[in-house]
Amino acid sequence: MAMLEVDGLQKSFGAARVLGGISLSVEKGDVVAVLGPSGSGKTTLLRCLNFLEQADAGTLTFDGERFDLAAMHRKDIIRLRKKTGFVFQNYNLFRNKTALQNVTEGLIAVRGMKKADAEATGLALLAKVGLADKARQYPHQLSGGQQQRVAIARALAANPQIIYFDEPTSALDPELTGEVLAVIKQLAEEGMTMIVVTHELPFAKSVSDKTLFLDGGVIVEAAASRDFFANPRQERTKAFLRTLNKDSI
Amino acid sequence: MSERLAHILLDSFWKILLPGLKMTIPLTAISFALALVIAVAAVLVQFARVKYLTGIVRFYIWIMRGTPLLVQLYVVFYGLPNLGVMIDPFPAAVLVFALNEGAYSAETMRAALESVPGGQIEAGYCLGMSYMQIMRRIVLPQAFRTAFPPLSNSLIAMTKDTSLAANITVTEMFMATQRIVARTYEPLALYIEVALIYLLFSTLLTKLQRFGEKRLGRFYAEAGR
Repeated sequence: MAMLEVDGLQKSFGAARVLGGISLSVEKGDVVAVLGPSGSGKTTLLRCLNFLEQADAGTLTFDGERFDLAAMHRKDIIRLRKKTGFVFQNYNLFRNKTALQNVTEGLIAVRGMKKADAEATGLALLAKVGLADKARQYPHQLSGGQQQRVAIARALAANPQIIYFDEPTSALDPELTGEVLAVIKQLAEEGMTMIVVTHELPFAKSVSDKTLFLDGGVIVEAAASRDFFANPRQERTKAFLRTLNKDSI
Repeated sequence: MSERLAHILLDSFWKILLPGLKMTIPLTAISFALALVIAVAAVLVQFARVKYLTGIVRFYIWIMRGTPLLVQLYVVFYGLPNLGVMIDPFPAAVLVFALNEGAYSAETMRAALESVPGGQIEAGYCLGMSYMQIMRRIVLPQAFRTAFPPLSNSLIAMTKDTSLAANITVTEMFMATQRIVARTYEPLALYIEVALIYLLFSTLLTKLQRFGEKRLGRFYAEAGR
């Protein structure tokens, strides 16, 4: 059984339809890459999955439990958020907290963990993303790539069943994207379930198991990543891949 | 400097400083504390978008920021008795200073709250935090750090503005000085003397502000990043 299943997710902002009935399913351990031109609804899709936006229609089945996305209860939202991690394009680190405090914040405030235990967990996670020596630094003292790795450690702290990445490298200078992608790749190898909205084709090709191509708020093509890149079926997918490949030359 | 003038200045120093300690400082402290309470209430009303109340708050801020402080003092102390409302000088001064500063501080606090990037609030939600937790642990500490310098500014400004209360017969530092001038006919020396005492108060507050800023904000980027 799929770990996460979305059926008929719809979302409009006023008169503008952003998502027109999205259905997808993610197995445990899957890494799903979501591609698509800007404005195609990729980010909104992730935000609906974590209730930062309220969907107009659709159901979500998570870990065997079924929810109506248009009528979520507050308690269920908090319960589900505790099982998921979210990594933002702009990191969104808490600027009044050190790298370590950013990672331990959820453990202490939400899970009521003792500070010493939380710090042990936090330090281990910072070491995992290669930032053990930056634990006491504040976000403004870190580079974009370092901030994003702290944000990943923060998402990992909750020991989530799935992590959503919303264009995790789009705000970074090109020379810093590698260090972030390397961390995500490592998580993939450890079997973490992830949905990654990205523009990094090589990354999607080499790391993800499945790839979705979104355009105009619908899934144009979904396939195992190997097939998706070797053998795209839809004309729009081919055109999109051609443009991105051209850009990268 | 003549011996007589030196004697007057020395003699008047305590006569000016004493009302400063007994009137100017309490007047400032009480008014500013009340102003902060008013400001917090005004900000909360605007943030929660309470019907009607928001309109009333915007109206209050508009009036208080749009009319002179001195005129407000006159309206309350000399004007309201026409309606049968008599208020003693000191409470009248507190009322006007608190209402006036409350309007300014409300705007300072609103700006400080709005300056905390919304993404951090979403990040808090994603961790499973509640709105109150996010406010208390993430937003307010940052907003307070941002509001601290302009609020300190307002406090220093108010310390000096309390001299206006002399106009409604509050015997604070400036009125004490005026009385000594009336006796001694040494306006230049005495008004400079009282100015220096105000400067002393302001300097102490400035030092306090520096200290507070250091204590509050290690996380604050010095380059303003």
